[in-house]
Amino acid sequence: MSLVAILEQALNGLIVSSFYALAALGLAIIFGVLRVVNFAHGELYMLGGYAYFLAVASMGLPPVVGIVVAAAALAAMGALVEWLLIRPVYDGRADRPEEYSIMITFALSILLLNLANSLFGPWPRRPEPLFRGGVEIGELIVSGDRLAAAGVAVVLIAVLLAALRYTWAGRAVRAVSQNREAAAIFGISVTRVGMLAFATGAALAGLAGALMGPVFNVVPPMGVIPVIKAYVIVVLGGLGSIPGAIMGAIILGQVESFATILIPDPSRALAYKDAYGLVLLVGILLLRPQGLFGTKERRA
Amino acid sequence: MKLQTLRLLGLGLILLVFLALPLLLGDYWVYTITIGFYYAILAASWALLVGYIGRISFAQAAMAGLGGYASALSVQHAGLPPVLGLAAGVLVAGALGFVIGRLTLRLHGAYLGLTTIAFAEILRITATAEYQLTEGSRGLQVEPLLQDGSRSEYYYLFLAVTVACLALMTWLLRSRVGLFFQSIREDEDGAASLGVNVTLWKTVAFAISTAFAGLAGGLYAHFVQLITPSMMSLQEMGIVLAMAVIGGFHNVVFAALGGVSLQVLLEGLRELGEWRLVVFGLITLLILRLMPNGVFGTVADVLTDRLRKSGDDK
Amino acid sequence: MMHEQLDISGLVKRFGGLTALNSVDMTVGSGELLGLIGPNGSGKTTLLNIVSGYYKADGGSINFERRPVLGHAPHQLARQGIGRSFQVTKIFRRLTVLQNMLVAGLSDGAQSQSEATDRAMGLLRDLKLERLAHERASSLSGGQGKLLEFARIMMLSPKIVLLDEPFGGVHPELKRFMHDHIRKWNDSGVTIILISHDMGSIFDLCQRVVTLSYGDIICDGTPEETRNDPAVLDAYLGDHHGAA
Repeated sequence: MSLVAILEQALNGLIVSSFYALAALGLAIIFGVLRVVNFAHGELYMLGGYAYFLAVASMGLPPVVGIVVAAAALAAMGALVEWLLIRPVYDGRADRPEEYSIMITFALSILLLNLANSLFGPWPRRPEPLFRGGVEIGELIVSGDRLAAAGVAVVLIAVLLAALRYTWAGRAVRAVSQNREAAAIFGISVTRVGMLAFATGAALAGLAGALMGPVFNVVPPMGVIPVIKAYVIVVLGGLGSIPGAIMGAIILGQVESFATILIPDPSRALAYKDAYGLVLLVGILLLRPQGLFGTKERRA
Repeated sequence: MKLQTLRLLGLGLILLVFLALPLLLGDYWVYTITIGFYYAILAASWALLVGYIGRISFAQAAMAGLGGYASALSVQHAGLPPVLGLAAGVLVAGALGFVIGRLTLRLHGAYLGLTTIAFAEILRITATAEYQLTEGSRGLQVEPLLQDGSRSEYYYLFLAVTVACLALMTWLLRSRVGLFFQSIREDEDGAASLGVNVTLWKTVAFAISTAFAGLAGGLYAHFVQLITPSMMSLQEMGIVLAMAVIGGFHNVVFAALGGVSLQVLLEGLRELGEWRLVVFGLITLLILRLMPNGVFGTVADVLTDRLRKSGDDK
Repeated sequence: MMHEQLDISGLVKRFGGLTALNSVDMTVGSGELLGLIGPNGSGKTTLLNIVSGYYKADGGSINFERRPVLGHAPHQLARQGIGRSFQVTKIFRRLTVLQNMLVAGLSDGAQSQSEATDRAMGLLRDLKLERLAHERASSLSGGQGKLLEFARIMMLSPKIVLLDEPFGGVHPELKRFMHDHIRKWNDSGVTIILISHDMGSIFDLCQRVVTLSYGDIICDGTPEETRNDPAVLDAYLGDHHGAA
């Protein structure tokens, strides 16, 4: 394998990683604050794709505005979902909160998938991307829409990390993630932070969907595969850990990029492409459920 | 005493209705309800795991698919009669369930959910990728279970197997094993402190549950005579979950009734197109949120309550 | 003379860098009623969790009736006669009170359902829970929950019972009732190790008191000796935990 080919695989891996990271970060923030794995995350991603499509293709807005619209729409949707469905998990209304949270988000994903099927039809849509054409870096050729989307994703991730570190709301989110009771004692409204976290998580999923939609296709089941990648990533990095999610995304991007070339039969290699991450997920959960970078929680 | 007789009466009545249905309905509906029996066993097997021992799994549809493929392939390649093929499917699904149950002992809640999703997807991807064996997403032709079986013959066979499965599950869950399952669901450490072998029963529960799923999948494959990886998908799992939740997943019979009745409703509302699945999803959310015992569970609770109260009045 | 029933020697337990038990030696005779005290974090519950099989030890050995304890699962030790309660009661809330009892009665497969039911009803009668037998355990009050936990343990016919803070949040009348029952069990030959912050109960009930501090046994003597030991006083006062 030539050096250029290796570099190309590595670069492709990095681009894919940045998309994955964006989707996975939302999952990590929601889990960190609410201790809920959002099994409907893939469908929020899909709705982000459709929000972008409606804004750009139907309303004729410029792509950049389309992305903002998708983020805002999904943030509102996330807040609504948190208020209607997730709140019973921690206000004592659900008899078995963990079981309830798993089933309710899984059921929500089925509802949203079928809703999109009914509203938008099963046909793939291809809205205008942020950027067209190819970009040459030395001997490497990368498609421009992917590179632009990856660039935006990286910027968004940086903004998110800065917001978590330097804004009051961001610090509240981190405080609640680390210690719910202590945060409540220091006057942080855990309920409000919970809603903020779900809205932010949903917005991140929506952003990822809006960026990816034009690169691949906007279609109702578009979130099914990416959300499974997001699960792999958050498990790799330790559920609820934000730096862990970023590391996890980088690892998964590279693993998928290179593992594909290990199986000689190309059609088989392609068919198994989505299985590598799953094997990784099972391995991590069985051997190190706290994730590669997490610390072990002691059973009290 | 009175409650017990009423319960038996209710079950007898339901059974009579199912026995009479093929005499009243056309082939199309007989076929639909037969498929409904597949969902009934599958939803009940899932309820056995989630409702009783409190272990979540998203691999139930994939296990049905595994049972279906194992049965179909052993009939095709080893020349087994379909009945033995079914047994092979049960064994394979039960064995994998045992392994998964064993491996995931330490995992709970969402972690277990994620692990079972991964196992389910690995199974589905493998079934798709190994097209030389499984014909991939085009689907595999399967030997029929009954040579030249009529629709109503299949119907009564499926009904008999469903009733037998539910009777077996109920017997098991009414025995001390059911008590151990529920004590583990309520508090693992507490159960262990009273001498319950938590490790053993958690593993066994997984194996039993997936074995029933494997049986359901085998029956389905030999009835429809075609099996595709899509029956192992998470969307299909979502339908099974919704059926059990709507019926009431704390009782295997209620979950099974949820399976049959929703299959019938989904077919009956065909003119609504995709919207019927939206309604279906919405009902699932509402039930989870407002009626955690499900439709049949809530009806049974209300009846029990009434009966108790009228008993107190006397 | 009573024989040595529980023999703990050189027991070590670490959590990461923290040493919870630092080579603990202790023997308990059959039929003793022993108090185990010490400030928060002194290692009492850790010791109990190891003896009942919930934690692994990092060193040392434990023998119960001359059979090794370490390496056995909690349910095996329960069947061998080591019963325990939990600081926060672990009753099965969605099962009935009687079903709670039957789990313990049926777990080793030695009794039939009707034998176990008869025995359970007898024990529930003793603890005045009989009329609640068919209610869900979630409907019990906190104190009734503690009593149910007692009753469940007795259902196991244990040889030794490890009680972890049984009087937490229990009102005085019920506490007296529990005292009587603990004495009654002990009189019938059951060994009891009692962990409590309630010094009144400890000094009232126990013939011998072992004090732990930072994973070491700092005192092992009669209630009188313990009360007058400067090291015990220091351990409590140094940590600002008044002996309640």
